[in-house]
Amino acid sequence: MVSVINTVDTSHEDMIHDAQMDYYGTRLATCSSDRSVKIFDVRNGGQILIADLRGHEGPVWQVAWAHPMYGNILASCSYDRKVIVWKEENGTWEKTYEYTGHDSSVNSVCWAPHDYGLILACGSSDGAISLLSYTGDGQWEIKKISNAHTIGCNAVSWAPAVVPGSLIDQPSGQKPNYIKRFASGGCDNLIKIWKEEDAQWKEEQKLEAHSDWVRDVAWAPSIGLPTSTIASCSQDGRVFIWTCDDASGNSWSPKLLHKFIDVVWHVSWSITANILAVSGGDNKVTLWKESDGLWVCISDVNKGQGAVSAITEGQQNEQ
Amino acid sequence: MKLKEIDRTAMQAWSPAQQHPIYLATGTSAQQLDATFSTNASLEIFELDLSDPSLDMKSCATFSSSHRYHKLIWGPHTMASDGSLSGVLIAGGENGNIILYDPSKIIAGESEVIIAQKGKHTGPVRALDVNIFQTNLVASGANESEIYIWDLNNFATPMTPGAKTQPPEDISCIAWNRQVQHILASASPSGRATVWDLRKNEPIIKVSDHSNRMHCSDLAWHPDVATQMVLASEDDRLPVIQMWDLRFASSPLRVLENHTRGILTIAWSMADSELLLSCGKDAKILCSNPNAGEVLYELPTNTQWCFDVQWCPRNPAILSAASFDGRISIYSIMGGSTDGLRQKQVDKLSSSFGNLDPFGTGQPLPPLQLPQQTTPQSTVLPLKKPPKWVRRPVGASFSFGGKLVTFENIKSHQQGPEQQQLQHHVYVSQVVTEREFLNRSDQLQEAVQSEGFINYCKKKIEAAQTDFEKNVWSFLKVNFEEDSRGKYLELLGYRKDDLGQKVNLLESCVYVDGLITQALLTGSFESAVDLCLHDNRMADAIILAIAGGQELLSRTQKKYFAKMQSKITRLITAVVTKNWKEIVQSCDLQNWREALAAVLTYARPDEFAALCGKKT
Repeated sequence: MVSVINTVDTSHEDMIHDAQMDYYGTRLATCSSDRSVKIFDVRNGGQILIADLRGHEGPVWQVAWAHPMYGNILASCSYDRKVIVWKEENGTWEKTYEYTGHDSSVNSVCWAPHDYGLILACGSSDGAISLLSYTGDGQWEIKKISNAHTIGCNAVSWAPAVVPGSLIDQPSGQKPNYIKRFASGGCDNLIKIWKEEDAQWKEEQKLEAHSDWVRDVAWAPSIGLPTSTIASCSQDGRVFIWTCDDASGNSWSPKLLHKFIDVVWHVSWSITANILAVSGGDNKVTLWKESDGLWVCISDVNKGQGAVSAITEGQQNEQ
Repeated sequence: MKLKEIDRTAMQAWSPAQQHPIYLATGTSAQQLDATFSTNASLEIFELDLSDPSLDMKSCATFSSSHRYHKLIWGPHTMASDGSLSGVLIAGGENGNIILYDPSKIIAGESEVIIAQKGKHTGPVRALDVNIFQTNLVASGANESEIYIWDLNNFATPMTPGAKTQPPEDISCIAWNRQVQHILASASPSGRATVWDLRKNEPIIKVSDHSNRMHCSDLAWHPDVATQMVLASEDDRLPVIQMWDLRFASSPLRVLENHTRGILTIAWSMADSELLLSCGKDAKILCSNPNAGEVLYELPTNTQWCFDVQWCPRNPAILSAASFDGRISIYSIMGGSTDGLRQKQVDKLSSSFGNLDPFGTGQPLPPLQLPQQTTPQSTVLPLKKPPKWVRRPVGASFSFGGKLVTFENIKSHQQGPEQQQLQHHVYVSQVVTEREFLNRSDQLQEAVQSEGFINYCKKKIEAAQTDFEKNVWSFLKVNFEEDSRGKYLELLGYRKDDLGQKVNLLESCVYVDGLITQALLTGSFESAVDLCLHDNRMADAIILAIAGGQELLSRTQKKYFAKMQSKITRLITAVVTKNWKEIVQSCDLQNWREALAAVLTYARPDEFAALCGKKT
């Protein structure tokens, strides 16, 4: 079920920490401990290095592509406390904005749904979350949530854009009023949901279930249903799926996907939100799917080979 | 960055890594006296709650004990007592006794918390360590070169690792190897470190610096390399940390000379072997990389000496340092702002002094004039290089079109400082979950391109599971054929030809309605009308006939008249068919008036004369 179609040799000189494809799946951005961000063109199974972006002074942890309606924009965050926004102008990639407002390593960046405008959320080890909004003409407005998570925020993830009461016709010509929400996970073992009210960000919910650092949170893309789903993974080896059925977002109930034997680093949803990729421990990537209310592992992407192996019951129990 | 502070003069022990929530146990230290000169001893357990931004740690339990301690460790061995808390607190007392406490009972507030105690040593027990692999084994060291190995399951009789080293000297520290479970090392103030092999029950190697100026205050094994360890020296003339490799034990591998005065204690992080903490008499807490020898970080502390520093097993960024000014501080090496700390101090002051009018004199305090600071250093810079537990080695993300991007960092197994060959590949994979679905979609794609719709539909009809599906596909198929409408009707079960036959064969009138409906749906008005007439539904017949066209109407009228026989039928017939001749001819002579009236009303002028002539 999973077959490798392309192997990109990035020639990074140190550990790779993130690899993301853009909206159309034609370009791949990778970032590494060697302080560089590389962009490849991966159409039709090829790999052509388009850009090697230098500008960070420490390992780069994450990259995020913005929606193509704003142009070719990529954000990167690093251990050197900086967040850099890169833009492609006339075929060359250049730094268009640099944010140095954090006191410690910035661990995660995530662009908001394009409906909200060009907004970037950054989570840092100093416990704060910054929101950078592009207001036009090269200017960015900054909002900071201090002490979001004590001793550090590890991950941020935006909720998909949903218009409240979207079943009722909106009067034409008016911009719909979105309720902006995002989730963050931190070193205090908590997942917090933040909501914007009157241009201020407030903590709406606190989700407690993990017994160690929350390494990643991922809000599932919307498929039109009124439910919201968040996946979270932690240092304690557990992955939880949180679902909220009511539109006001008040009651989240967790379901344990699996307890892995090693730390789980990353969770990521597929575009249609039915498959969850869980990356953990020693280069193990597993894919999970929900069937009849239970989460089942459908594949085990083996290290290096990307081999296809439908995981059997026995293997599953071993995990 | 300082997170928490406890005002205690105590030895400290973190709860084991499996324990959640994180606890810190403190036992009153035997070596120090606090400001009140009290000789009360207590064992306390604090909970580390990081979601609480204040500097205080919550005290969960206090147990006042009769002993003061030289060393305290928390082992993960679960004893027989059942409680949610696993683990056992092992304390080394000043009288040579080793006491085992049950932390869960202490937290529960019970009074019987001592599991066992044994006074085997002749002097204060200064060194204790729990074996990582066999958590029931504890090594203790005291004066006179006494080292005992205790089995927590069988606490009465300890073992010795071998013959005592001669000349007898104090054991200042003891440590189990982190990779091999039967290797133990002990160090003494004379600068000699002995490595014991418990299987052979004898020392295998004695490591000592030829300068003989080392006063070993602490020793630690390398978390990853089995043969390497570090020794820290307390001597001010040689305030070094020596890194030894036992395969080459004549001189140290590396010497770290970062302290200006003797080092009191060291702690090597199990999570990242590049982080070694050391506290010295120069009042500095340094974090250095023993593999490279450089200093990574200096903790911002006050000017007191720290006699004990420990990494938290569960949360690798946290460490605790106990200092001689009677305080235990909890730090995080991940950096952050000290603004919170400063604010707390300000709050403390303002709450004690009242905001503006502390003495109630009715006069506010003059505004405070601070000397202008050059650079307000409120940010604490983190380690130069990120620790191992922050560096994410693996990840996966989805992309448009069912593609999955995965990356990994495979290490080839090469130990030591040699260049580690890491492969840095990113894999783009195609995820197919619904293979059948894709096949079908491919087929459809092909059909659309080749315009072989009819064939496609045929295949679908054959493969259809239910009748409903069959029908659906048949409809679709017909759409592509000529005379679609007719074929649709056929499918529906309405055939024009059939219908004609049915009507002719009509014997009983039971299902005439159905037949009429069928006839109407297929558009054959004649049959419908026939059926109606047959069924004596005259009104229906006539109405339908009107809709069916003039010819049909006249025929219907004829048939109708043929059927109906009433007194005035002939008149009606005549009026409708305009057949006046017949009326005139056939009526009786007595009714000549009626006949004339009819002729007068209806006949056309030219006929008029003829009809009148007839009459006469």
